[in-house]
Amino acid sequence: MEYEIRNRPAFANLLLRLTRGERVLAESGAMASMSSSIQVRSRFSGGFFMALLRKLFGGESLFMNELSTDSGGELVLTQPTPGDMECMELKGQALFLQAGAFIACDTSVSLSLGWAGIRSWLAREGLFRLKVSGTGRVWFGGYGGILTKEIQSEYVVDSSHLVAYEPSISLKVGLSGGVATSLFSGEGLVMRLRGPGRVYLQSRSIDALAAWVNSHIY
Amino acid sequence: MQTEILARPSAAVARLTLRAGETITCEVGAMVAMSTGFQVETTTRQRGSGGLWAGVKRMVSGENFFLNKFTARADGEHLIIGPTLVGDVIHHELVGAGTLIVQGSSWLASGPGVEIDTSFQGIGKALFSGESVFWIKCSGRGDLLLNSFGSIYEVDVQDSYVVDTGHIVAFQDTLQFTVGKLGDSWLHTMLSGEGLVCHFSGRGKLYCQTHSPPGFGHELGPMLRPR
Repeated sequence: MEYEIRNRPAFANLLLRLTRGERVLAESGAMASMSSSIQVRSRFSGGFFMALLRKLFGGESLFMNELSTDSGGELVLTQPTPGDMECMELKGQALFLQAGAFIACDTSVSLSLGWAGIRSWLAREGLFRLKVSGTGRVWFGGYGGILTKEIQSEYVVDSSHLVAYEPSISLKVGLSGGVATSLFSGEGLVMRLRGPGRVYLQSRSIDALAAWVNSHIY
Repeated sequence: MQTEILARPSAAVARLTLRAGETITCEVGAMVAMSTGFQVETTTRQRGSGGLWAGVKRMVSGENFFLNKFTARADGEHLIIGPTLVGDVIHHELVGAGTLIVQGSSWLASGPGVEIDTSFQGIGKALFSGESVFWIKCSGRGDLLLNSFGSIYEVDVQDSYVVDTGHIVAFQDTLQFTVGKLGDSWLHTMLSGEGLVCHFSGRGKLYCQTHSPPGFGHELGPMLRPR
């Protein structure tokens, strides 16, 4: 299966060319358009129980779509917000994805739900997090541009800007500074990441957009 | 009329330069800036489509009741028009037989030789092809300006093709479409998160947009507080 990420970085969308018998797993609602030769089947993502947990605590959808073809065809996948996408090739390692970041993966990739902890929940990032592992490609996206950072020791990230990170990284919710700074800096709670490992960030935050719009509704 | 598209693709606008007496009809609210030599007329009428009744039909189909008509009083007057959402603008020239069916919110402006009609698809397709999706039939000759949420990609449909309703910009009327389920069963259609999709058949050009305005609305909407 060939892929191309087009219209980067503002309006990234994923073009996939499937040959006979190939399949791909995609986030529910991600399909923008496709050849008629492609069949769509929705299934619980990672089994019923995990799908339910994912829905209830991960803020993700209950179902995923498996797209396949008997004869070949192409499809375009996108995300609800404007922004960039990344592809990561898994060779046995794993990656944690924040809610809403997942777009698609090869069917050889396994999806599971990992406990993210009360701290993650406090930072409004969900009690569970999506873990992708195994071998194969995974495509994910964010709102705005995607920045990559290799961290060695500690690094501070605004929680709504976190997209994905390697499992070697541990998370802690903390204050951005002293109590006064945290209250008035507009940063509030932040994530303190401890490496080593790679982290993917988005350059804009949908929560911040919503807060901005809310402040203008009267 | 000369057309130049600026600030592509993330926040495109069209800069139109008109000769004396030339006219362009635009979506209400599309004007960003213009030189002073324009006569602006707010109308319910586009060429050939009759007056008040045409306005009512446009309103029923979800579009604005009014249109703005800009007529240049002298050569070289220019007008900058753009859509509300971030995204691209394209210029499509209609030549005679090449009728284009445009998704309502993608229509930005058209020249005087282009006739626009919103009534032809029937109420069924207007209602069931998705949230706030209505169709404008653009025929005749002249300039047509379309806008998209995100980038525009072109698909050369040879036989059949499937598009999620929020992603259609426009298509040639050599293509037919039916609104229906995705996949084999209604259950999968409901569970797939795609809702209803448009099944195209025939041969012709199809313009799609990379992002769906209703999709973005559903992402942002739940986070907003009630007014």
